[in-house]
Amino acid sequence: MADPSTSNPHQAGDGSPASDHPTEPTRHSEHHARQIAGIHNVEVGYDGRAILPPISVCMHAGELWALVGRNGAGKSTFMRTLLGLQDRMGGQIQLDEGVRVAYVAQRSEFEGRVPARVWDFVAGGLDVGWSFAVPWLSGSQRRKIAQAMADVRVEDLASRQMSTLSYGQRQRVHIARALATEPLLLVLDEPTSAMDPIAERAMFELLRNLARNRGISIMLSSHQMSFLPEHADHALLIDRDLAIATGGRLRDVFGSAAFRRVYGDIHVGAPTDDDCAS
Amino acid sequence: MATSMSVRPRMMIVQADQPTLSAFFDAWPLFADAVWAAVWMGGTLGLLGIYVIARRLVFLSAALSQAASLGVATSFFVAGTLGVSGALAAPTLWSLLATGLVVLFFARPDRKHTSTDDETLGIIYLIGIAGTLALGTRIVADLADIQTLLFGTAVAVVPDDLAAIQWTCAGVVAVHLVLWRGFSAVSLDPIGATVRQLPTHLLNLLLLASLALVVSVCTRILGALPAFAFSVLPALVALQWSRNIAQGLWIAAGVGAVCGFVGYLAAFLWALPVGASQALVGVVLLMLSVLGRTVGTRVGLGGR
Repeated sequence: MADPSTSNPHQAGDGSPASDHPTEPTRHSEHHARQIAGIHNVEVGYDGRAILPPISVCMHAGELWALVGRNGAGKSTFMRTLLGLQDRMGGQIQLDEGVRVAYVAQRSEFEGRVPARVWDFVAGGLDVGWSFAVPWLSGSQRRKIAQAMADVRVEDLASRQMSTLSYGQRQRVHIARALATEPLLLVLDEPTSAMDPIAERAMFELLRNLARNRGISIMLSSHQMSFLPEHADHALLIDRDLAIATGGRLRDVFGSAAFRRVYGDIHVGAPTDDDCAS
Repeated sequence: MATSMSVRPRMMIVQADQPTLSAFFDAWPLFADAVWAAVWMGGTLGLLGIYVIARRLVFLSAALSQAASLGVATSFFVAGTLGVSGALAAPTLWSLLATGLVVLFFARPDRKHTSTDDETLGIIYLIGIAGTLALGTRIVADLADIQTLLFGTAVAVVPDDLAAIQWTCAGVVAVHLVLWRGFSAVSLDPIGATVRQLPTHLLNLLLLASLALVVSVCTRILGALPAFAFSVLPALVALQWSRNIAQGLWIAAGVGAVCGFVGYLAAFLWALPVGASQALVGVVLLMLSVLGRTVGTRVGLGGR
Protein backbone atom coordinates (compact mmCIF):
# COMPACT_ATOMS: atom_id res chain seq x y z
CA MET A 1 0.00 0.00 0.00
CA ALA A 2 1.24 3.47 -0.75
CA ASP A 3 2.43 5.43 2.22
CA PRO A 4 0.31 8.57 2.36
CA SER A 5 2.65 10.16 4.82
CA THR A 6 5.37 10.17 2.22
CA SER A 7 3.92 9.66 -1.22
CA ASN A 8 0.68 11.58 -1.04
CA PRO A 9 0.74 15.30 -1.53
CA HIS A 10 -1.28 15.78 1.69
CA GLN A 11 -3.56 18.40 0.45
CA ALA A 12 -4.68 20.86 3.03
CA GLY A 13 -8.36 21.54 3.21
CA ASP A 14 -7.90 24.65 1.11
CA GLY A 15 -6.07 22.66 -1.52
CA SER A 16 -2.62 23.95 -0.74
CA PRO A 17 0.15 21.41 -0.30
CA ALA A 18 1.13 20.54 3.23
CA SER A 19 4.75 21.37 2.64
CA ASP A 20 6.42 24.25 0.90
CA HIS A 21 9.27 21.90 0.09
CA PRO A 22 9.37 18.71 -1.92
CA THR A 23 8.42 15.80 0.30
CA GLU A 24 11.40 13.64 1.24
CA PRO A 25 11.22 9.97 2.06
CA THR A 26 11.03 9.41 5.80
CA ARG A 27 13.47 7.41 7.85
CA HIS A 28 10.88 4.68 8.30
CA SER A 29 10.04 4.29 4.67
CA GLU A 30 13.74 4.01 4.02
CA HIS A 31 13.96 1.20 6.52
CA HIS A 32 10.65 -0.35 5.53
CA ALA A 33 9.23 0.01 9.03
CA ARG A 34 6.04 -1.90 9.67
CA GLN A 35 2.90 0.01 8.89
CA ILE A 36 0.73 0.19 12.00
CA ALA A 37 -2.27 2.19 10.83
CA GLY A 38 -3.46 3.45 7.50
CA ILE A 39 -5.95 6.30 7.68
CA HIS A 40 -7.52 6.79 4.27
CA ASN A 41 -9.75 9.76 3.54
CA VAL A 42 -11.28 9.52 6.95
CA GLU A 43 -13.97 12.08 7.65
CA VAL A 44 -14.73 12.86 11.25
CA GLY A 45 -17.68 14.66 12.73
CA TYR A 46 -20.96 14.14 14.46
CA ASP A 47 -24.67 14.31 13.80
CA GLY A 48 -23.95 13.02 10.31
CA ARG A 49 -21.82 16.03 9.41
CA ALA A 50 -18.08 16.02 8.78
CA ILE A 51 -16.23 18.83 10.53
CA LEU A 52 -12.87 18.40 8.82
CA PRO A 53 -11.62 17.67 5.32
CA PRO A 54 -10.80 13.99 4.69
CA ILE A 55 -7.66 12.90 6.57
CA SER A 56 -5.10 10.55 5.09
CA VAL A 57 -1.99 9.55 6.95
CA CYS A 58 0.00 6.39 7.39
CA MET A 59 1.58 5.57 10.74
CA HIS A 60 4.58 3.27 11.03
CA ALA A 61 6.33 1.53 13.87
CA GLY A 62 8.66 3.82 15.77
CA GLU A 63 7.01 7.04 14.68
CA LEU A 64 5.93 9.75 17.10
CA TRP A 65 3.08 11.77 15.67
CA ALA A 66 2.01 15.14 17.00
CA LEU A 67 -1.64 16.01 16.58
CA VAL A 68 -1.75 19.79 16.60
CA GLY A 69 -4.39 22.42 16.18
CA ARG A 70 -6.05 25.16 18.14
CA ASN A 71 -8.57 24.51 20.89
CA GLY A 72 -11.80 23.34 19.31
CA ALA A 73 -10.00 22.42 16.09
CA GLY A 74 -11.40 18.88 16.13
CA LYS A 75 -8.45 17.04 17.69
CA SER A 76 -10.57 15.21 20.24
CA THR A 77 -13.13 14.26 17.59
CA PHE A 78 -10.37 12.84 15.42
CA MET A 79 -8.84 10.95 18.35
CA ARG A 80 -12.20 9.51 19.36
CA THR A 81 -12.75 8.38 15.79
CA LEU A 82 -9.29 6.84 15.55
CA LEU A 83 -9.93 4.98 18.81
CA GLY A 84 -13.27 3.67 17.59
CA LEU A 85 -15.19 5.60 20.23
CA GLN A 86 -17.33 7.30 17.62
CA ASP A 87 -18.35 6.52 14.08
CA ARG A 88 -16.49 8.06 11.19
CA MET A 89 -18.38 9.87 8.47
CA GLY A 90 -16.39 8.25 5.69
CA GLY A 91 -13.09 6.74 4.70
CA GLN A 92 -11.19 3.82 6.18
CA ILE A 93 -8.96 3.16 9.14
CA GLN A 94 -6.86 0.08 8.51
CA LEU A 95 -4.94 -1.39 11.41
CA ASP A 96 -2.30 -3.93 10.57
CA GLU A 97 -3.05 -7.46 11.69
CA GLY A 98 -2.62 -7.96 15.42
CA VAL A 99 -2.31 -4.25 16.16
CA ARG A 100 -3.63 -3.32 19.57
CA VAL A 101 -4.60 0.23 20.34
CA ALA A 102 -4.21 1.87 23.74
CA TYR A 103 -5.27 5.25 24.97
CA VAL A 104 -4.12 7.61 27.68
CA ALA A 105 -6.76 10.18 28.49
CA GLN A 106 -5.96 13.69 29.63
CA ARG A 107 -7.83 13.09 32.86
CA SER A 108 -8.66 9.74 34.34
CA GLU A 109 -12.15 9.02 35.58
CA PHE A 110 -10.62 6.30 37.74
CA GLU A 111 -8.61 8.25 40.23
CA GLY A 112 -10.07 9.34 43.51
CA ARG A 113 -13.11 7.12 43.57
CA VAL A 114 -11.53 3.80 44.41
CA PRO A 115 -8.17 3.22 46.11
CA ALA A 116 -5.54 1.68 43.89
CA ARG A 117 -1.86 1.01 44.23
CA VAL A 118 0.27 1.73 41.18
CA TRP A 119 0.61 -1.97 40.46
CA ASP A 120 -3.16 -2.46 40.61
CA PHE A 121 -3.71 0.53 38.38
CA VAL A 122 -1.35 -0.79 35.72
CA ALA A 123 -2.87 -4.27 36.02
CA GLY A 124 -6.30 -2.73 35.44
CA GLY A 125 -5.30 -1.84 31.90
CA LEU A 126 -4.18 -5.33 31.01
CA ASP A 127 -7.33 -6.91 29.66
CA VAL A 128 -8.18 -7.01 25.97
CA GLY A 129 -11.35 -8.52 24.57
CA TRP A 130 -12.54 -11.31 26.85
CA SER A 131 -9.28 -11.90 28.75
CA PHE A 132 -10.95 -10.58 31.92
CA ALA A 133 -13.00 -13.77 32.12
CA VAL A 134 -10.10 -15.42 33.94
CA PRO A 135 -10.27 -13.80 37.37
CA TRP A 136 -6.59 -14.14 38.24
CA LEU A 137 -3.39 -12.97 36.53
CA SER A 138 -1.09 -15.45 34.84
CA GLY A 139 2.67 -15.33 35.12
CA SER A 140 3.04 -13.86 31.63
CA GLN A 141 0.51 -11.17 32.45
CA ARG A 142 2.44 -10.26 35.58
CA ARG A 143 5.61 -10.03 33.50
CA LYS A 144 3.87 -7.69 31.06
CA ILE A 145 2.85 -5.45 33.93
CA ALA A 146 6.37 -5.46 35.33
CA GLN A 147 7.83 -4.71 31.90
CA ALA A 148 5.42 -1.85 31.30
CA MET A 149 6.29 -0.35 34.67
CA ALA A 150 10.00 -0.76 34.00
CA ASP A 151 9.71 0.89 30.58
CA VAL A 152 8.31 4.06 32.11
CA ARG A 153 10.46 3.79 35.23
CA VAL A 154 7.73 3.48 37.85
CA GLU A 155 8.71 0.11 39.32
CA ASP A 156 9.76 1.80 42.55
CA LEU A 157 6.26 3.19 42.93
CA ALA A 158 4.52 -0.19 42.67
CA SER A 159 3.09 -0.24 46.18
CA ARG A 160 2.26 3.46 46.37
CA GLN A 161 -1.34 4.62 46.24
CA MET A 162 -2.19 6.51 43.06
CA SER A 163 -3.55 9.37 45.14
CA THR A 164 -0.09 10.02 46.63
CA LEU A 165 1.71 10.52 43.30
CA SER A 166 2.72 13.76 41.64
CA TYR A 167 1.10 14.65 38.33
CA GLY A 168 4.19 13.64 36.37
CA GLN A 169 4.38 10.30 38.16
CA ARG A 170 0.68 9.68 37.56
CA GLN A 171 1.06 10.34 33.86
CA ARG A 172 3.89 7.84 33.66
CA VAL A 173 1.75 5.28 35.46
CA HIS A 174 -1.08 5.95 33.02
CA ILE A 175 1.31 5.24 30.16
CA ALA A 176 2.46 2.04 31.86
CA ARG A 177 -1.19 1.01 32.16
CA ALA A 178 -1.63 1.60 28.45
CA LEU A 179 1.56 -0.34 27.66
CA ALA A 180 0.39 -3.34 29.69
CA THR A 181 -1.64 -4.53 26.70
CA GLU A 182 1.50 -4.36 24.53
CA PRO A 183 -0.11 -1.99 22.05
CA LEU A 184 1.39 -1.07 18.72
CA LEU A 185 -0.58 2.14 18.47
CA LEU A 186 -0.63 4.41 21.51
CA VAL A 187 -2.82 7.51 21.53
CA LEU A 188 -2.36 10.18 24.19
CA ASP A 189 -4.50 13.24 24.81
CA GLU A 190 -2.29 16.14 25.87
CA PRO A 191 -0.09 14.06 28.17
CA THR A 192 1.97 17.03 29.36
CA SER A 193 -0.75 19.64 29.74
CA ALA A 194 -0.17 20.29 33.44
CA MET A 195 3.57 19.68 33.66
CA ASP A 196 6.45 22.04 34.28
CA PRO A 197 8.98 22.30 31.43
CA ILE A 198 11.42 19.86 33.01
CA ALA A 199 8.81 17.16 33.52
CA GLU A 200 7.47 17.94 30.09
CA ARG A 201 10.82 17.39 28.44
CA ALA A 202 11.26 14.13 30.36
CA MET A 203 7.83 12.97 29.21
CA PHE A 204 8.57 13.69 25.55
CA GLU A 205 11.91 11.91 25.83
CA LEU A 206 10.15 8.95 27.43
CA LEU A 207 7.61 8.77 24.64
CA ARG A 208 10.30 9.13 22.00
CA ASN A 209 12.22 6.25 23.54
CA LEU A 210 9.10 4.11 23.88
CA ALA A 211 8.33 4.56 20.21
CA ARG A 212 11.84 3.54 19.24
CA ASN A 213 12.49 0.79 21.74
CA ARG A 214 9.08 -0.85 21.66
CA GLY A 215 8.60 -0.26 17.94
CA ILE A 216 5.20 1.29 18.47
CA SER A 217 3.53 4.19 16.77
CA ILE A 218 2.51 7.01 19.06
CA MET A 219 0.09 9.84 18.38
CA LEU A 220 -0.25 12.57 20.96
CA SER A 221 -2.19 15.77 20.90
CA SER A 222 -0.25 18.70 22.22
CA HIS A 223 0.02 22.45 22.24
CA GLN A 224 3.67 22.40 23.29
CA MET A 225 5.25 23.69 20.11
CA SER A 226 8.60 24.20 21.78
CA PHE A 227 9.14 20.48 22.40
CA LEU A 228 7.44 18.89 19.43
CA PRO A 229 10.08 19.57 16.74
CA GLU A 230 12.72 18.05 18.98
CA HIS A 231 10.86 14.85 19.76
CA ALA A 232 8.10 14.19 17.21
CA ASP A 233 8.91 13.18 13.67
CA HIS A 234 5.47 13.48 12.11
CA ALA A 235 2.56 15.81 12.59
CA LEU A 236 -1.11 16.04 11.77
CA LEU A 237 -2.45 19.57 11.71
CA ILE A 238 -6.20 20.07 11.81
CA ASP A 239 -8.44 23.08 12.01
CA ARG A 240 -12.17 22.86 11.51
CA ASP A 241 -12.69 26.60 11.10
CA LEU A 242 -10.08 26.86 8.35
CA ALA A 243 -10.99 23.44 6.90
CA ILE A 244 -7.44 22.18 7.26
CA ALA A 245 -6.34 18.59 7.73
CA THR A 246 -2.80 17.93 6.69
CA GLY A 247 -0.27 15.40 7.85
CA GLY A 248 3.23 14.18 7.11
CA ARG A 249 6.73 14.73 8.29
CA LEU A 250 6.77 17.27 11.07
CA ARG A 251 9.15 19.72 9.46
CA ASP A 252 7.03 19.70 6.30
CA VAL A 253 3.80 20.28 8.18
CA PHE A 254 5.29 22.92 10.46
CA GLY A 255 6.81 24.68 7.49
CA SER A 256 3.63 24.63 5.44
CA ALA A 257 1.37 27.47 4.43
CA ALA A 258 -1.46 25.70 6.25
CA PHE A 259 0.52 25.82 9.50
CA ARG A 260 1.15 29.53 9.06
CA ARG A 261 -2.55 30.09 8.42
CA VAL A 262 -3.40 28.42 11.70
CA TYR A 263 -0.59 29.66 13.93
CA GLY A 264 0.70 32.78 12.15
CA ASP A 265 4.26 33.62 13.15
CA ILE A 266 4.28 31.62 16.35
CA HIS A 267 7.76 30.49 17.33
CA VAL A 268 8.25 26.78 16.92
CA GLY A 269 11.05 24.81 18.55
CA ALA A 270 13.58 25.53 21.25
CA PRO A 271 15.42 28.87 21.04
CA THR A 272 18.72 28.77 19.23
CA ASP A 273 21.82 30.92 19.60
CA ASP A 274 20.63 32.94 16.62
CA ASP A 275 17.35 33.64 18.35
CA CYS A 276 19.18 34.87 21.42
CA ALA A 277 21.53 37.01 19.37
CA SER A 278 18.68 38.66 17.53
CA MET B 1 -50.56 -12.21 47.97
CA ALA B 2 -51.29 -9.49 50.42
CA THR B 3 -51.82 -12.06 53.10
CA SER B 4 -48.30 -13.32 52.74
CA MET B 5 -47.18 -9.90 53.84
CA SER B 6 -49.74 -9.48 56.54
CA VAL B 7 -48.70 -12.59 58.42
CA ARG B 8 -45.16 -11.30 58.67
CA PRO B 9 -44.59 -9.73 62.08
CA ARG B 10 -43.47 -6.13 61.86
CA MET B 11 -42.22 -5.55 65.37
CA MET B 12 -39.56 -7.48 67.16
CA ILE B 13 -41.24 -9.94 69.52
CA VAL B 14 -39.37 -9.93 72.78
CA GLN B 15 -40.29 -12.94 74.81
CA ALA B 16 -37.83 -12.48 77.60
CA ASP B 17 -38.34 -9.92 80.34
CA GLN B 18 -35.11 -8.22 79.34
CA PRO B 19 -33.96 -8.39 75.73
CA THR B 20 -30.45 -9.72 76.21
CA LEU B 21 -27.89 -11.44 74.04
CA SER B 22 -28.61 -14.76 75.68
CA ALA B 23 -32.33 -14.26 75.09
CA PHE B 24 -31.59 -13.58 71.45
CA PHE B 25 -29.58 -16.76 71.00
CA ASP B 26 -32.05 -18.75 73.07
CA ALA B 27 -34.67 -17.76 70.52
CA TRP B 28 -32.27 -18.33 67.60
CA PRO B 29 -34.52 -20.84 65.77
CA LEU B 30 -37.13 -18.11 65.58
CA PHE B 31 -34.76 -15.53 64.13
CA ALA B 32 -32.28 -17.68 62.24
CA ASP B 33 -33.86 -17.47 58.79
CA ALA B 34 -34.29 -13.70 58.99
CA VAL B 35 -30.75 -13.19 60.24
CA TRP B 36 -29.29 -15.38 57.52
CA ALA B 37 -31.36 -13.55 54.94
CA ALA B 38 -29.97 -10.23 56.17
CA VAL B 39 -26.42 -11.59 56.19
CA TRP B 40 -26.70 -12.92 52.63
CA MET B 41 -28.28 -9.72 51.39
CA GLY B 42 -25.90 -7.46 53.28
CA GLY B 43 -22.89 -9.35 51.97
CA THR B 44 -24.02 -9.45 48.36
CA LEU B 45 -25.27 -5.89 48.19
CA GLY B 46 -22.14 -4.78 50.04
CA LEU B 47 -20.02 -6.31 47.30
CA LEU B 48 -22.14 -4.75 44.56
CA GLY B 49 -22.01 -1.47 46.43
CA ILE B 50 -18.35 -1.00 45.49
CA TYR B 51 -19.48 -0.56 41.88
CA VAL B 52 -22.39 1.62 43.00
CA ILE B 53 -19.95 3.99 44.69
CA ALA B 54 -17.24 3.74 42.03
CA ARG B 55 -19.71 4.57 39.26
CA ARG B 56 -21.50 7.23 41.29
CA LEU B 57 -24.70 5.21 41.06
CA VAL B 58 -25.96 5.88 44.56
CA PHE B 59 -29.08 7.50 43.18
CA LEU B 60 -29.58 4.54 40.85
CA SER B 61 -29.50 2.19 43.81
CA ALA B 62 -32.06 4.33 45.63
CA ALA B 63 -34.24 4.50 42.54
CA LEU B 64 -33.99 0.74 42.03
CA SER B 65 -35.09 0.00 45.57
CA GLN B 66 -38.10 2.28 45.21
CA ALA B 67 -38.94 0.87 41.79
CA ALA B 68 -38.82 -2.58 43.35
CA SER B 69 -41.18 -1.37 46.08
CA LEU B 70 -43.60 -0.13 43.49
CA GLY B 71 -43.35 -3.47 41.70
CA VAL B 72 -44.18 -5.38 44.87
CA ALA B 73 -47.02 -3.00 45.74
CA THR B 74 -48.36 -3.43 42.21
CA SER B 75 -48.37 -7.20 42.66
CA PHE B 76 -50.44 -6.80 45.83
CA PHE B 77 -52.75 -4.49 43.98
CA VAL B 78 -53.33 -6.79 41.02
CA ALA B 79 -53.78 -9.74 43.35
CA GLY B 80 -56.01 -8.13 45.94
CA THR B 81 -57.97 -5.61 43.93
CA LEU B 82 -58.00 -7.00 40.41
CA GLY B 83 -58.19 -10.61 41.49
CA VAL B 84 -55.20 -11.80 39.47
CA SER B 85 -53.60 -14.91 40.92
CA GLY B 86 -50.73 -17.29 40.36
CA ALA B 87 -47.40 -16.39 38.81
CA LEU B 88 -48.80 -13.22 37.28
CA ALA B 89 -49.28 -11.81 40.75
CA ALA B 90 -45.90 -12.84 42.14
CA PRO B 91 -44.24 -9.90 43.92
CA THR B 92 -40.78 -10.89 42.69
CA LEU B 93 -41.99 -10.88 39.09
CA TRP B 94 -43.33 -7.36 39.41
CA SER B 95 -40.33 -6.01 41.29
CA LEU B 96 -38.00 -7.53 38.70
CA LEU B 97 -40.10 -6.02 35.95
CA ALA B 98 -39.90 -2.58 37.51
CA THR B 99 -36.16 -2.70 38.21
CA GLY B 100 -35.52 -4.36 34.85
CA LEU B 101 -37.06 -1.41 33.03
CA VAL B 102 -34.84 0.99 34.96
CA VAL B 103 -31.74 -1.10 34.18
CA LEU B 104 -32.59 -1.34 30.49
CA PHE B 105 -32.90 2.43 30.37
CA PHE B 106 -29.53 3.04 31.99
CA ALA B 107 -27.65 0.21 30.28
CA ARG B 108 -28.82 0.88 26.75
CA PRO B 109 -25.92 0.90 24.31
CA ASP B 110 -26.48 4.41 22.98
CA ARG B 111 -26.66 5.97 26.40
CA LYS B 112 -24.21 8.71 27.23
CA HIS B 113 -23.51 9.97 30.72
CA THR B 114 -25.38 13.23 30.95
CA SER B 115 -26.33 15.70 33.60
CA THR B 116 -29.95 14.65 33.18
CA ASP B 117 -29.22 11.27 34.81
CA ASP B 118 -29.75 12.70 38.27
CA GLU B 119 -33.07 14.22 37.29
CA THR B 120 -34.23 10.97 35.68
CA LEU B 121 -33.24 8.97 38.75
CA GLY B 122 -35.00 11.48 40.98
CA ILE B 123 -38.17 11.07 38.96
CA ILE B 124 -37.92 7.26 39.11
CA TYR B 125 -37.37 7.46 42.86
CA LEU B 126 -40.40 9.70 43.35
CA ILE B 127 -42.61 7.58 41.11
CA GLY B 128 -41.51 4.54 43.10
CA ILE B 129 -42.18 5.89 46.57
CA ALA B 130 -45.29 7.90 45.71
CA GLY B 131 -46.72 5.07 43.63
CA THR B 132 -46.08 2.58 46.42
CA LEU B 133 -47.82 4.73 48.99
CA ALA B 134 -50.69 5.52 46.63
CA LEU B 135 -51.21 1.87 45.74
CA GLY B 136 -50.97 1.05 49.44
CA THR B 137 -54.28 2.75 50.03
CA ARG B 138 -55.90 0.47 47.45
CA ILE B 139 -54.46 -2.77 48.75
CA VAL B 140 -56.67 -5.02 50.80
CA ALA B 141 -54.06 -5.46 53.48
CA ASP B 142 -53.44 -2.51 55.76
CA LEU B 143 -50.99 0.28 55.06
CA ALA B 144 -48.57 -1.10 57.61
CA ASP B 145 -47.63 -3.77 55.05
CA ILE B 146 -46.44 -1.01 52.77
CA GLN B 147 -44.36 0.38 55.61
CA THR B 148 -42.87 -3.06 55.97
CA LEU B 149 -42.04 -2.95 52.30
CA LEU B 150 -40.55 0.53 52.35
CA PHE B 151 -38.71 0.58 55.62
CA GLY B 152 -37.89 -3.07 56.16
CA THR B 153 -39.74 -3.62 59.40
CA ALA B 154 -40.23 -7.32 58.70
CA VAL B 155 -38.87 -9.51 61.44
CA ALA B 156 -39.45 -13.02 60.13
CA VAL B 157 -38.47 -14.60 56.84
CA VAL B 158 -40.17 -17.71 55.60
CA PRO B 159 -37.94 -20.62 54.48
CA ASP B 160 -38.90 -20.20 50.82
CA ASP B 161 -37.81 -16.60 50.92
CA LEU B 162 -34.50 -17.53 52.51
CA ALA B 163 -33.93 -20.11 49.80
CA ALA B 164 -34.70 -17.50 47.14
CA ILE B 165 -32.21 -15.13 48.74
CA GLN B 166 -29.51 -17.79 48.99
CA TRP B 167 -29.83 -18.90 45.39
CA THR B 168 -29.95 -15.34 44.11
CA CYS B 169 -26.99 -14.18 46.16
CA ALA B 170 -24.90 -17.27 45.44
CA GLY B 171 -25.50 -16.89 41.70
CA VAL B 172 -24.69 -13.21 41.67
CA VAL B 173 -21.57 -13.62 43.80
CA ALA B 174 -20.37 -16.45 41.54
CA VAL B 175 -20.78 -14.26 38.45
CA HIS B 176 -18.94 -11.44 40.17
CA LEU B 177 -16.12 -13.68 41.31
CA VAL B 178 -15.46 -14.67 37.72
CA LEU B 179 -16.05 -11.35 36.00
CA TRP B 180 -14.82 -8.85 38.59
CA ARG B 181 -11.99 -7.65 36.36
CA GLY B 182 -14.40 -6.92 33.55
CA PHE B 183 -16.85 -5.18 35.87
CA SER B 184 -14.02 -3.13 37.32
CA ALA B 185 -12.80 -2.14 33.89
CA VAL B 186 -16.17 -0.88 32.65
CA SER B 187 -16.89 0.80 35.96
CA LEU B 188 -13.62 2.62 36.46
CA ASP B 189 -12.30 3.16 32.96
CA PRO B 190 -15.19 2.85 30.48
CA ILE B 191 -13.35 4.59 27.64
CA GLY B 192 -10.23 2.51 28.09
CA ALA B 193 -12.34 -0.64 28.22
CA THR B 194 -14.04 0.29 24.95
CA VAL B 195 -10.69 0.99 23.27
CA ARG B 196 -9.41 -2.38 24.48
CA GLN B 197 -12.48 -4.00 22.94
CA LEU B 198 -13.98 -5.39 26.10
CA PRO B 199 -17.70 -6.20 25.69
CA THR B 200 -18.62 -3.07 27.60
CA HIS B 201 -22.34 -3.04 26.84
CA LEU B 202 -22.75 -6.65 27.91
CA LEU B 203 -20.74 -6.12 31.07
CA ASN B 204 -22.68 -2.99 31.95
CA LEU B 205 -25.96 -4.78 31.39
CA LEU B 206 -24.86 -7.76 33.45
CA LEU B 207 -23.59 -5.61 36.29
CA LEU B 208 -26.70 -3.45 36.49
CA ALA B 209 -28.97 -6.47 36.04
CA SER B 210 -27.28 -8.25 38.93
CA LEU B 211 -27.75 -5.15 41.07
CA ALA B 212 -31.39 -4.91 40.05
CA LEU B 213 -31.96 -8.60 40.76
CA VAL B 214 -30.52 -8.47 44.27
CA VAL B 215 -32.22 -5.18 45.07
CA SER B 216 -35.54 -6.59 43.84
CA VAL B 217 -35.31 -9.72 45.97
CA CYS B 218 -34.01 -7.79 48.99
CA THR B 219 -36.76 -5.19 48.71
CA ARG B 220 -39.42 -7.83 48.39
CA ILE B 221 -38.23 -9.78 51.41
CA LEU B 222 -36.46 -7.29 53.67
CA GLY B 223 -37.64 -3.88 52.46
CA ALA B 224 -36.42 -0.95 50.40
CA LEU B 225 -34.55 0.82 53.19
CA PRO B 226 -32.15 -2.03 54.01
CA ALA B 227 -31.72 -2.75 50.29
CA PHE B 228 -30.56 0.81 49.70
CA ALA B 229 -28.48 0.93 52.88
CA PHE B 230 -26.70 -2.35 52.11
CA SER B 231 -25.82 -1.17 48.63
CA VAL B 232 -24.16 2.05 49.79
CA LEU B 233 -22.88 2.03 53.38
CA PRO B 234 -20.70 -1.13 53.49
CA ALA B 235 -18.89 -0.04 50.34
CA LEU B 236 -18.19 3.38 51.81
CA VAL B 237 -16.73 1.70 54.89
CA ALA B 238 -14.67 -0.70 52.79
CA LEU B 239 -13.20 2.05 50.63
CA GLN B 240 -11.79 3.65 53.77
CA TRP B 241 -9.65 0.62 54.46
CA SER B 242 -8.94 -1.20 51.20
CA ARG B 243 -5.80 -0.88 49.12
CA ASN B 244 -7.47 -1.76 45.84
CA ILE B 245 -10.80 -2.72 44.39
CA ALA B 246 -10.36 -6.46 44.97
CA GLN B 247 -9.80 -5.88 48.66
CA GLY B 248 -12.66 -3.41 48.67
CA LEU B 249 -15.08 -6.01 47.29
CA TRP B 250 -14.25 -8.51 50.04
CA ILE B 251 -14.27 -5.97 52.85
CA ALA B 252 -17.57 -4.49 51.65
CA ALA B 253 -19.13 -7.94 51.51
CA GLY B 254 -17.97 -8.62 55.07
CA VAL B 255 -19.16 -5.26 56.37
CA GLY B 256 -22.51 -5.77 54.64
CA ALA B 257 -22.93 -9.14 56.32
CA VAL B 258 -22.03 -7.58 59.67
CA CYS B 259 -24.59 -4.81 59.12
CA GLY B 260 -27.23 -7.44 58.40
CA PHE B 261 -26.48 -9.45 61.53
CA VAL B 262 -25.69 -6.69 64.00
CA GLY B 263 -28.59 -4.62 62.71
CA TYR B 264 -30.96 -7.46 63.43
CA LEU B 265 -29.42 -8.03 66.84
CA ALA B 266 -29.65 -4.33 67.69
CA ALA B 267 -33.28 -4.34 66.60
CA PHE B 268 -33.89 -7.15 69.07
CA LEU B 269 -32.00 -5.57 71.94
CA TRP B 270 -33.52 -2.10 71.60
CA ALA B 271 -36.87 -2.92 69.98
CA LEU B 272 -36.05 -1.05 66.76
CA PRO B 273 -37.45 -1.55 63.28
CA VAL B 274 -35.09 -4.04 61.65
CA GLY B 275 -34.41 -2.14 58.41
CA ALA B 276 -33.71 1.10 60.22
CA SER B 277 -31.47 -0.69 62.68
CA GLN B 278 -29.44 -2.30 59.87
CA ALA B 279 -29.04 1.06 58.14
CA LEU B 280 -27.99 2.73 61.38
CA VAL B 281 -25.37 0.06 62.06
CA GLY B 282 -23.94 0.85 58.63
CA VAL B 283 -23.90 4.55 59.43
CA VAL B 284 -22.16 3.94 62.76
CA LEU B 285 -19.54 1.74 61.10
CA LEU B 286 -18.97 4.41 58.48
CA MET B 287 -18.56 7.13 61.09
CA LEU B 288 -16.14 4.97 63.05
CA SER B 289 -14.20 4.25 59.86
CA VAL B 290 -13.91 7.89 58.92
CA LEU B 291 -12.88 8.74 62.46
CA GLY B 292 -10.37 5.91 62.53
CA ARG B 293 -8.87 6.94 59.20
CA THR B 294 -8.65 10.56 60.23
CA VAL B 295 -6.99 9.80 63.55
CA GLY B 296 -4.79 7.16 61.93
CA THR B 297 -3.62 9.60 59.29
CA ARG B 298 -2.80 12.23 61.90
CA VAL B 299 -0.70 9.85 63.95
CA GLY B 300 0.95 8.40 60.88
CA LEU B 301 -0.86 5.08 60.76
CA GLY B 302 -3.36 5.92 58.08
CA GLY B 303 -1.44 4.74 55.03
CA ARG B 304 -3.08 1.99 53.02
